[in-house]
Amino acid sequence: MLNVHELENRHKKYKLKSYTPYLIILLSITIALVSISFFTLNYFNSISKSKNEAAEQKEVYTKNLETKSTVEEKSENISVPIEEKKRIEVQKKQEKILLSPSLDFIKSMESQTQMYKKENENFKTTEITEKKMQEAAKKVKEPVKKIQERKEEIVLPKIEEVKESITVAKETSTIDIKRRDEETDIKHVIKRFNVNHSPALSLFIAKKYYQLENYEQAYNYALATNELNNDIEASWIIFSKSLVKLGKKEMAIETLKKYIKHSSSSQAKQLLDEILSGKFK
Amino acid sequence: MKPSIYENSRDVFLDTVNAKDYIQLERISMIYQALKDSIEKPLKMVLLYGKPGTGKSMFLSKLHENISSAQKAYLYKTPILDESEFFKTLAQDLYEIRYDGELNFTQFIKVVENRELIEAIVPVIMLDEAQLYSTSMMEKIRLLSDTRKVKFVIALHKTQKEDIIAKEHFQTRIWESIKLENASSSELKIYIKKKLMKVNCLDTASMFTQKSINLIHKLTDGNYIDTNKLVYTLFDIYHYYAQNNPNKIKGNYISKKIIEMAALHTGLINA
Ligand SMILES: Nc1ncnc2c1ncn2[C@@H]1O[C@H](COP(=O)(O)OP(=O)(O)OP(=O)(O)O)[C@@H](O)[C@H]1O
Ligand SMILES: [Mg+2]
Repeated sequence: MLNVHELENRHKKYKLKSYTPYLIILLSITIALVSISFFTLNYFNSISKSKNEAAEQKEVYTKNLETKSTVEEKSENISVPIEEKKRIEVQKKQEKILLSPSLDFIKSMESQTQMYKKENENFKTTEITEKKMQEAAKKVKEPVKKIQERKEEIVLPKIEEVKESITVAKETSTIDIKRRDEETDIKHVIKRFNVNHSPALSLFIAKKYYQLENYEQAYNYALATNELNNDIEASWIIFSKSLVKLGKKEMAIETLKKYIKHSSSSQAKQLLDEILSGKFK
Repeated sequence: MKPSIYENSRDVFLDTVNAKDYIQLERISMIYQALKDSIEKPLKMVLLYGKPGTGKSMFLSKLHENISSAQKAYLYKTPILDESEFFKTLAQDLYEIRYDGELNFTQFIKVVENRELIEAIVPVIMLDEAQLYSTSMMEKIRLLSDTRKVKFVIALHKTQKEDIIAKEHFQTRIWESIKLENASSSELKIYIKKKLMKVNCLDTASMFTQKSINLIHKLTDGNYIDTNKLVYTLFDIYHYYAQNNPNKIKGNYISKKIIEMAALHTGLINA
C-alpha cells in the first residue's frame, strides 16, 4: 500500500534539496547587501555626525558673536573668558565625537577576523576527518572561491557564508551515505537506473540478475546497457551467457561472432569457444 | 467529489493491453492506417518497432481486433520459442491441423506451399516481442513469408544489439517498417483525458491543465508506461486524501505537489 505520509516527507526533503542552491545564493546576496549597507551607513553616520558638530560649532560661534557684541557693548573685559570657555567646550565635544566611531570600527574588525579564523580551522579539520565530506566540500569549493574573492572587499559576509557552506556540506554528505547503504538493494538500483539511464547501473543490475539466475532479466538489462553504450565488453558477455542459459545457444553464438568481428575481444572469443565446445552450458 | 471517483480514475491507468481501451490519437491513427494498408498489399513482412512503452503491443491488439472480422488473423502476444511448438501452433491456427509429435520446418513449409488460399486473402500472423526470437527462427519466418501464403507482422523493441541482427534480416526483406514514438505533450493530454472520459470520469479529466500535463510530460518523456504508472499513483494519493484528509485536495486542478509525490514514488524523480 501507498505510504502517503512517508511520501510527504520525501517530498519535503526533495523540495528542500531543490531550493538549497537558490537559498544559498539568496543568503549570500542578502548578507552582502546588509554588510554593504552597514558600512555605508557607518560612513554616512560619521559624516552626518561631523555635520552636526559643525552646526553646533556654528551655533556656538553665533552665540559667541552675540555675546561678544552684547558684551562689547557693555564691557570688553568680561567677554574674553566667556569666549575662551566656550571654545574649550566645543573642542572637547569635537574630540569625543570624532574618536568614538572609529574605535568601534576597529574593534569589530578585529573580532570578526578572529571569528573567521576559528571557522576556517573548523572547516579544515572537518575536511580531514570526514573523507566522504570531501566530495561534498568540493562541490562547495566554487562558491567558497567566489566568496574569498569578495572577502578582499568586505570581511563580514564571507564569514557567514563559510558557515553556510559548511552546514550544506554536512547535509549532502549524510544523504550520500544513506544512498550508498541502499545500493545493495537491487530494486533501488533499478529505480535509479530508470531515472539516470546510466549504462553502469544497468550493467550492474544485469550482473546481479545473472548471479541470481534470473536470466531473462539479465538479458533485458544487458540489452538496455547496450542500447546506452554498445561498446561495453562485459555487457555483451552477460548478454550472450544469458542467451545460452535461456536455451538460445545459436543466437548467443551469432551475437558473439558479430561482436568479435567488430571488437576482436579476447574475452568474447574465449566464451565463444566455451559455448561451441559445450564447456559453457 | 466522492472518494470513489479517484479510485475509478486510478484504475483506468492500470498497465494492461486490451484493444477495447485503445485511444485514437491523430498520429497513431495515421500510422495505424499505414499499417492496415500495408497488410492489404501483397508484401511479405511488416516490422513495427519502437522503444519499450511506446504502445506496440496495444497497437497490435487493436489491429488484430479490427482485421480479424474480415480475415484470418492471429496474435501471438508472447513468443513461442520452441520451434516445433511454433510450427504446430501455426498449423493449428492456419489450417486446423493437429500434430501430436514433432513438426520441423521442412515438414511445415511443405504443408504451407501445398495449400491453396481461400478467396486469395492471405492470413496474417502477428508476433509481439519478436526480439526474443532467434536469428535462425527469424530466417525461417522469412522463408514462410516468401511463399506468400501467410503474412507476418512483427513487433519488437529495437536496440543497438539487435540492430545488427535486424538490419541484415529486415532491411532488404521487409517491405514496410513503422516506428512508434513517445507521445508529444499534446498527445499526452488527449491520451490522459480521453482515457478518463471513456469511463465517465469527466470531473477528474477536467482537472488536468496544460501546466500539469507539461510537468507530467517532462517527467515521463511521453512514455505511455511511465505515464500510466505516474497517473495511477497520483490518483492513489488523491484517493487516500479524499478518505483521510480532504483538506489537502481542495483545489480544482491537479496539484503540482501530488504529481511530484507520485513521481517520487514511481522513481521518476529520485531524492
Ligand atoms: N493508443 C493507446 N491507447 C490506449 N492505451 C495505450 C495506447 N498506447 C499505449 N497505451 C498504453 O500504454 C501502455 C504501454 O503500451 P504497450 O504495452 O503497448 O507498449 P510496448 O511498446 O508494447 O512496450 P514493450 O516494448 O515494453 O512491450 C499500455 O498499458 C497501454 O495500455
Ligand atoms: Mg509490448
